[in-house]
Parts: sequence; structure tokens; C-alpha cells
Amino acid sequence: MVPTGGTKQAGGTATWAELPGSAPNMIFPFDPSGFFSVPNINEFQYLMYRPLYWFGQGATPNLNLSLSVGKEPSYSTDGKTITIDLNNYKWSNGETVTAQDVVFWMNMMEANKTIYGAYVPGINAIPDDVANVVATSPSEVTFTLTGTVNPNWYTYNNLSQVTPLPKAWDITATGGAPGSGGCFSGAYGTTSTDAACVKVFTFLATQAGYDPANPKAANNSFSTYATNPIWQVVDGPWHLTNFDATGNITMEPNPSYTGPVKPTLAKFVEVPYTAEPAEYNSVLGGKLDVGYLPLANEPKTTSNPLVVTGQDPRLSNYYVNEYYSWAFSYFPLNFNSSGNNGVAGKIISQLYFRQAMQTLVDQPDIITKVFKGYGLGQYGPIPPQPPTYLSAAAKTNPYPYNPAAAKALLSSHGWTVKPGGTDVCTKAGSGAGECGAGIPAGTPLTFNLQFATGITTQTDAVNDEISSWDSAGIHINETTSTFDTVIGNATACTPGPSCTWEMEDWAGEWVYSPDVYPTGEELFATGAVSNYGSYSDPTTDNLIKGTDFSNQSLTNYENYLVKQLPVIYLPAQVQSLTEIQNNLRGVTPQNIFSALTPENWYFVK
Amino acid sequence: MIGFTIRRIIQAFVVIIAVMLLVFLLAHVIPGGAARAALGPRATRLQIAQFNRLNNYDRPIIVQFWLYIEGLIWHHNLGYSYHYNQGVTAVIQERLPKTLVLVGISTILALVVAVPLGILQVVRRNKPVDYALTAGSFIFYAMPSFLLGTLLILYLAVDVHLFSVEAPQGQTVGSILADPRGLVLPEVTLAAITIASFSRYMRSSMMEAMTEDYVRTARAKGANTTRVLFFHALRNAIIPIVTLLGLSIPAIVSGAVITETVFNFPGMGLLTYQAATNTDVPMLLGTAFVATVATVIGSLAADIIYAVVDPRVRYAKR
Repeated sequence: MVPTGGTKQAGGTATWAELPGSAPNMIFPFDPSGFFSVPNINEFQYLMYRPLYWFGQGATPNLNLSLSVGKEPSYSTDGKTITIDLNNYKWSNGETVTAQDVVFWMNMMEANKTIYGAYVPGINAIPDDVANVVATSPSEVTFTLTGTVNPNWYTYNNLSQVTPLPKAWDITATGGAPGSGGCFSGAYGTTSTDAACVKVFTFLATQAGYDPANPKAANNSFSTYATNPIWQVVDGPWHLTNFDATGNITMEPNPSYTGPVKPTLAKFVEVPYTAEPAEYNSVLGGKLDVGYLPLANEPKTTSNPLVVTGQDPRLSNYYVNEYYSWAFSYFPLNFNSSGNNGVAGKIISQLYFRQAMQTLVDQPDIITKVFKGYGLGQYGPIPPQPPTYLSAAAKTNPYPYNPAAAKALLSSHGWTVKPGGTDVCTKAGSGAGECGAGIPAGTPLTFNLQFATGITTQTDAVNDEISSWDSAGIHINETTSTFDTVIGNATACTPGPSCTWEMEDWAGEWVYSPDVYPTGEELFATGAVSNYGSYSDPTTDNLIKGTDFSNQSLTNYENYLVKQLPVIYLPAQVQSLTEIQNNLRGVTPQNIFSALTPENWYFVK
Repeated sequence: MIGFTIRRIIQAFVVIIAVMLLVFLLAHVIPGGAARAALGPRATRLQIAQFNRLNNYDRPIIVQFWLYIEGLIWHHNLGYSYHYNQGVTAVIQERLPKTLVLVGISTILALVVAVPLGILQVVRRNKPVDYALTAGSFIFYAMPSFLLGTLLILYLAVDVHLFSVEAPQGQTVGSILADPRGLVLPEVTLAAITIASFSRYMRSSMMEAMTEDYVRTARAKGANTTRVLFFHALRNAIIPIVTLLGLSIPAIVSGAVITETVFNFPGMGLLTYQAATNTDVPMLLGTAFVATVATVIGSLAADIIYAVVDPRVRYAKR
């Protein structure tokens, strides 16, 4: 239960726990690849530099116009022109946040798109589809696109990437005159503007620690994050007063903030942790105002995944609040794999095989026994909580756990099933009742699965799955490694001797941010950047295009992908069991993208 | 002695280069690649190619190693860590003093306690005190540091509120030392285990010394027990401890990863561990370099001090 009542107190310092190994490390909001992360953006930069559009309203992923710099975008009837009026925001140096600040970002994005962390080539998205951006008045900016778009997709997945930048940042040297860089006021897409923006980006990124031209250069810019005048020009409710390499961060209210909710706290402090037990000890010791309860320390299994049932009795000064992130859990299969003597990819390409694999994932068992009830069944690429975009078909599992059905699927497709052993293809061929094209007789049904260790619940879940697959004769040779190694191996590759990986499970999830509208163009479109398993299907491609560039419903795409199984879907685990001091208000509801809004927080007596 | 020292220093350089080459090779055969680890799962092929080009990962390994050594020797540059968005040197400069304080104090504390304990056990050999201290040593020696640390936190910090639940969070040596309430538990955790080890060595060594002829001679000449213990036996008995101390220097520099983790004290140990798990190649090489140099120096210092403490030992030129 969220406590209520008490008398609001002005001031005070609220401390908040960072996740282990997740200290912010980039202040410049035009995040290069490798720095584009939740800790950098949602938990750090957004507090100082407000995005054009803020996502997350209550516990939903919806556009939150009250916290956005931009008013609701207006799309022309042909879907090619977008007009955006701005709310009245001020930079802390006294200047108004103008339409030209939005153009500045777009100029920066166009010139440096290959470095920008959210840029996705090949899908005709921002900035590739932007023909022009102009400030039609100080408070109105107009985007002209090269083609028709689905307004929902464009706002949620493209405009979601824009953050107005101050004119004061348009410099190429310390102490330069605001606007002297030539990027702020340059015409969008011209060679001269691009050249100027590359120089401005290089200067700003280097000030933030990352030298794109010479990444080996030694630097120690963290020590200047809180003092560098560049980073002190903010339009958000907070400005930085302390930052160190370990992740200790202190922010104080921006007195010039013109947004809707002014901070009540005197200070907001982010505290780094080495590991979950260390963080939990701090919660036990009462050192944190907002921390989290590691799932291993949750004393009770819940019967309702949306309600926390247990609390460590030593934590009587805290209440628990939970939330699920806007993400879906999965692991990829390599459709091009040359493993298993060249046939692994060919087996994976068979829908009946993927159906058998998915049928053997006992989601209810994993949720109950491994996640202590704090999980949700997930049967497709759309996040299950909140069920905003969940179609009726995706609410029920089309492949519920059923070992007998899985065995029947395999045996009816030419495999001799050997529970606990290794199935063998005995009917080669591509006809009905045969193993499939390119799978010779005698082929064993065996795969290499590498998975990331370090998160106990995920390891337990994988072991549950392997045991289940084994029961139907799908033999898994498991190896373990670190998250980075596993995700590094899961790289899209063309068929050939070096394309050997078969299954990689990094115990992660795909967070739909900044691609808030879960249309999947980055994941499942042929050749997409994050289509690690090289899944390719013309129907899927057309459905994705329909949701991106016309007003086709997401439901068609979703219903198709639920059955197609381009990846193996796994149950969603709760993102956080957040521990909040009883005398701290305003922390809930928590933002589904983990964006922090401590300007809402206040202590009571 | 000078010749010996020069020879050892030359050997040390060879060892450092060899270890760095080994670590370099191992770091580059880690599957997955540094590019994906640094740039994240959404990195494009173009970004990965750019990363590899800018960081010379697209060049032969021996060329990469040469460029690394060149940067190290001529520019004192250990490279840049994408994971930390900092120069490796800057991060190590921030972490190393903290680890030196934490592990250094615990080592000194262990020495100060373990030597008298070892002597006391010899004086009270096969008496209840000896048995109790032996049992205590075995318990602490066998106890994992994460367990001891966690128990101390739960009882002395969470329940009794006597000490802080975490180590000092200051970024400078001064601010760390200014928070003794935070330092006590991690120091006790580290020292307890080291004391258990050192005191066992001290007891054995002292027992052996007490049976030597020169001790019998000293007694025959009328030296009292105190004089025999501290002026005759101790000087010889301390030699194994000197060796242990020398071998402890790498640990003092490399950190104590488990204790650092439990007490939320990010030092060199945790830095090395995270560099390995994050495929942060420049940071891994940087911490390996520091650890290698410390190991070589520790070993060299132990050899030299050994000769100083024990006059019978001479490293004469053969």
C-alpha cells in the first residue's frame, strides 16, 4: 500500500540507488552508440535536458504531453508534414527554448547520424526520411518528410529521439560565442551545416569525455561535469552539482525551471552500488530513500504478479512498489547457422521445430518457481504490461506448455523422438511429414546454447527450459559466459563456415525506447540492425511497413509474429520491487521507462 | 647486492612485457568482440567497423600490441575505456588510492596482530590459549570473506547500528580516513582472514626457531625468556612473514574484489573483475599492468628485504 497523508515538507535530500554497474557515464544528450542507455538518458540526462516528447503516463507508455517541451504534433492529411508548437520552457541562462533549438538537434542528428546511438539505417526513419526542418516561428517547428508515415509510429519512435539543444552549445571551443559553431542556425541537410555540426559534436562529445576522432585519448572529463558551464545550461528541473567516476551524483533544483512541477527537494542524490547485496544492506541500514528489493530477498511468492505480497520485516520504514518495464524477453535463434554440420539453421527455419521449442517453455512454472510469481506470460513481441497494445490473440499462449504436443510435432515431421536422449531425423525431405529441406536423414536434433550467467533467476529459468527441451529429445549443449560475450556472439551473419552460433540467451530483454511503439522494424525486418538471428519473412516485412508507413493496425503484425516465432519468447520478469521510505511521497507511479522525476518527490512529517 | 638488484630489475621488465603480451592475446581471443561490448546491442555494422578501425582492432594483433606498448612507454597512456567513458589511467588513479587504503591498512593491522598472536601461541604452546587461538585461526581462515563481511554488516551495522553498512564513499584518501565508522567492518573482514593466515605461519616459524641451537645457547648464557623470544628467535622467525608480505603487495594493489563488493567500495579488485566481465579490453590491460608491476615489485622487495633481515643470505655474483 502506498502511504498517504502527512504534512509536505520543503527541502530535504532524497537518495536513490543506481543498479549495480549502471552508473551514468555521459552527460551530452546526443548519445553516441555505446552511451545510449537508460542510466544515461532516463536516469540522468532527462533530469537536466528535457526531451521534445516525454513518454510514460502513470503506469502506461503513452505520450505525456504535460511533461513534454512540445505540444501535440499536428500531421498533415498526407502524413508528410508535421507541425509542432512548443510549450514555454526556458534555459537556465535565460534564453527561451525555441523551435530553432529543435532544428539544432536535427542538424546535429543529420550530420552525425552514424555515431548517434539510436540511429537505425535502412528503415527510412528519422533523420533519413526528413527532407527539411525549419523553425517557422520561435515557437513552431515544421518537419517535412520524404514520404507518408503512420503518425503514431512517427511520434512514438522518431520524434521520441529529439531533445532541444541550447544555442549556447553551438560552439567549437571553450568560451566560444553561442551560435558561432554554425550548426544551430544552419539550413538542414546542407553540406556546410553538416560540416559545422560535425565540429560542434566533436567538441561537445570531447567535453563530455568521448573524443570521436581519437577514442584512445586519455581524458578525465568527469571531474568537470558539474562545473563545466556548457552542461550547466539546462531546461529541466535539475542541474548537476556533483559527479564522479564511481557514479555518485548530486543534483539541485534549477531555479529557472519553467516546467509544470517545480522540485520540492533541496537535493537529489544518486548512489552507485557494486552489487545487489550491497544495495540491500543499505536499504536494511536505512541509508536510502528509494532503493530496491532484490527478488532473491523477497520473502513471499505472490499469486498476483501485479501485487507485492511480502516485505522483509526489518524494512518497516519502507513500502514496496513494483513495475514492469516496457520490454519483452526473448532469445534469438540463428536462421543462418552452419552449426550441426551445416543444418542447424535449416532446422531452425522450420516453423514446426520453433513451435516445438516454444511449446516446451513452461512459462507458468518459471514465473511461479523462479520469479516467485513476479512475472507475466509473454507470447509475442509486445510487452504484456500494461496490455496497451496487446491483441486478444497475444493474451493467450498459442503454444502452451505441452511436452506431448511438442513430441507429436517432431515425430509428425520425420523425427524419431528419444525423450532424455537426442532425436534423429529419419525421414529426410521437404514434403509433409518430413524433416525439412536440407536436413539429411540421421541428423541429430542437437543445438549449442550459450547463455549469460550472473543473474540467478535467469540461470534458473534457462535450466528449466533446457530440462524441458531435453524431455522431448531436443538436446542442448549449454555453455555459459558473460552478458557481453553472449550478446557479442549473437551477431547477424550470412550462411557460411564462420556463421556457427545457434542459440544465444543473454538474459536480457528488448526495451522499447526510444522505439516506444512496438512495431519491431529494428528487430524482425529483413536485415534489421538488431535482427541478430537473420529472420527473414516477406509477410513480416510487409506488416512492419504497414504499421510504420500507413495506418495499418499493430494487431496484424502482432498476431502474425505470435505464431511465427522469429525468436523464442520468454516470460517477463518484474523490472523492480522498489523500496520507498514511508515518509517520501510522489515516487509512484513509477515511469515504465525508468525515467526519474524527483521533482515530484517530497518528504512529509 | 647491487648486481643482484640490477639483474632482478631487468628480469622484471621482461616479465612485465611477457605478462602484458599474454593478457593482450587472451583479451583479444574473448569471443564476442570488444566492439559489441562497448557499443551495445543496437550498434550497426558501420558503427562496429568504425569502432574497430579507430581502436586498431582491425589490424594484426602484434601491431596492436606494439601500438599499445608504444603508447604506454612514450605517452604513459593506458588507453580509453568506453565502459567508463574515461581514460584508463584516470579511472585507475581514482580507484588505486582507495584500494591501497583499504587493503594496506588491513595488512598492517594483520601484521600487528598476527605476530604477537603467533608468539603468544608459542609461549603458551599446547595450553588452552593456544588451542583457542588455533581454533579461531582455522575458523577465520576457512571462512569466505563474503560470509564474514555480511555477518558483520547484519549484526554490527543493521541490528546494533554500531558501524556503517558500507565502506566510506569518499573519493579521496582523506575523506575515506575521515570516516572510521565506515572503515572498521571492511578492515576487520580483510584483516581477520589475513591474521588467521599470518599467525599460523608465525607460530610454526617461531616454534622452529625455538628449537635451534642458537636459542639453546642463548638460554645457556642466561638470557631470559623475553630476550630469547624477541632478540634471538623473532628475527629468524619473521623471515617467512617478510616473504608473505612481499607477496601481499600485489593483493594490496589489485584489491579485494569480494570485500569491495560486499561493502560497496569500488576499488581495483572490482575494477578488474568488471573489466573482464564487460570485455573492457583497455581497462583489463590497464589493471593487469598495475597488478603485474606490483607483483614484480613485491617479489623483488621480498628478496631484498630477505637478504637484509637474514645476514646468512647473500646474493653474491656467481
